[in-house]
Amino acid sequence: MRSRSYISIYFDDEVPLLQAVRILRDKKEIITDVLSPFPVHGLDEALSIKRSRIPVVGFIFGALGAILAFGFQAWVFTVSYPLIIGGKPFFSVPTFIPITFELTVLFAGLSMVAALLIRSKLKPDIRFKPLDERITDDRFVIIVDASDDGTAFDRVKSLLSGIHTLEIRH
Amino acid sequence: MDEQFDFKKKYRNILLVLMTGGILVALAVILISQPGASRIWANVLLNNQFFIGLSLGAAFFLAVHRVSQSGWHTLLQRLPEAMTTFLPVAFVLMLLIYFGIHNLYGWTNNNPTDKVIEGKRAWLNIPFFFIRLVIYFAGWIVLTRMMRKNSLSLMTSADLKYHNRKILFAGLFLVFYGITVSASSWDWIMSLDAHWYSTLFGWYVLIGMFVTSLAFITLLIWFLKRLGYLKYIRPDHVHDMAILIFAFSIFWTYQWFAQYELIWYGHLPEETSYYITRLHHFKVIFYINLGVNFLVPFFGLITFNSKQHIGWVAIIAALVLIGHWIDYWLLIMPAAAGDKAGIGLLEISMTLIYGCMFVYIVFRSLSAGPLVVKNDPYILESLNYES
Repeated sequence: MRSRSYISIYFDDEVPLLQAVRILRDKKEIITDVLSPFPVHGLDEALSIKRSRIPVVGFIFGALGAILAFGFQAWVFTVSYPLIIGGKPFFSVPTFIPITFELTVLFAGLSMVAALLIRSKLKPDIRFKPLDERITDDRFVIIVDASDDGTAFDRVKSLLSGIHTLEIRH
Repeated sequence: MDEQFDFKKKYRNILLVLMTGGILVALAVILISQPGASRIWANVLLNNQFFIGLSLGAAFFLAVHRVSQSGWHTLLQRLPEAMTTFLPVAFVLMLLIYFGIHNLYGWTNNNPTDKVIEGKRAWLNIPFFFIRLVIYFAGWIVLTRMMRKNSLSLMTSADLKYHNRKILFAGLFLVFYGITVSASSWDWIMSLDAHWYSTLFGWYVLIGMFVTSLAFITLLIWFLKRLGYLKYIRPDHVHDMAILIFAFSIFWTYQWFAQYELIWYGHLPEETSYYITRLHHFKVIFYINLGVNFLVPFFGLITFNSKQHIGWVAIIAALVLIGHWIDYWLLIMPAAAGDKAGIGLLEISMTLIYGCMFVYIVFRSLSAGPLVVKNDPYILESLNYES
């Protein structure tokens, strides 16, 4: 049993990166990860990553925020502490709407940030050693799984012979 | 790429037949049920306002995108440009109001005991009303014609000066439109209730105009795609139209609520009278207005997939279009027609007449030129656009 090993392929531009991703996926190579200094348009489709489910989280928590805010105000102004304000009825919907709106936005926004942090396992004291300092600046890297047998390195190299790569490392 | 819309005789005949039918029905209703002069004139005003709104909203759509130098709309810019060609006809139709002005606007009748209106005489008098009307239309017609002509000159020449001029005209239009759309909404709609005023009324009308024209552009895209045109308009472009409808419907609701909330809270008799006539006598329509214009686009277009399919977006757009017609109805009818206000055969047939006329003019000017301006510098960006 061999230990897991990876091949990393370096690029200095996003265009050859996208071409390489498409070729590798066509030839059924397993791409473990793609590292880039900024979001690359079309990369999600090329890797066939499914659409993020963050909007669903936003909708659910937004709805929850709306219900909580409306329910709380309705309870306070009719049951817990009824006050006559400006001669309006205790249960007057228009007064509740601005606060309901604000809490909807707050819940949706915060829940989406929280969901993102949890799903991508980011936490305050995280220790992170980048594979290569340059990927935080102007380098793009594809990491290919090469743990099946010893031929992966040569295979990837021949597949990408037509594309401008900086280096291919084992 | 060099396709041109063919306004076939078949469509022309359908529109003319529908229009004649509308005229016959409207005449029959007027003769048989005697709806009263104020209701007939209110219908004229309502439809003028609605279809002027479609034209101006389309010009606003173009101007905003050109000033911000956005690329995605480049492929569909000929559709809003065609919609602006209704304005000269609208000018004539708006001048017709002269014959019904005493039926519509209470302030035209002299009543020296009415201190509020006497105080507003400097603005609300008949000569100045028509001077302003001519100024608005002169500016709108000249500027939209210049915008349209200029973008057509990019068909024969690839000179960058035409592109720069496009941005200049758009900027000029935005400044003129921003002022005149507020002023014209005070003149034509708000002065129906001459005692009442709202400081965000112009904004409210502007956003309504923008949403209606977005909906109409979407319907045009849907129709032309069904006929086999506009193959290059992909779901990405539809997605952006849907985003705009979604966002500006919410913004419309924001404006609606901001106006309602302050008047409701303040509880001043001269302000609440506006909502009392509308909410107490037309309760159902009042809530339908809010539901169709807010809940339908909000829940109908909230997910990613719903914005991708032109068929679905077109259904929502059609509902929003009807919704904003109802919104204009609520702005105009209760004040102009009073107890006689209603939605009946008269309203439907009059709107049918105007609608056929509007669609006829839009299609005619659309067929007069190509569907895509081929030398526009942003054309490639629009072709490869990903939303």
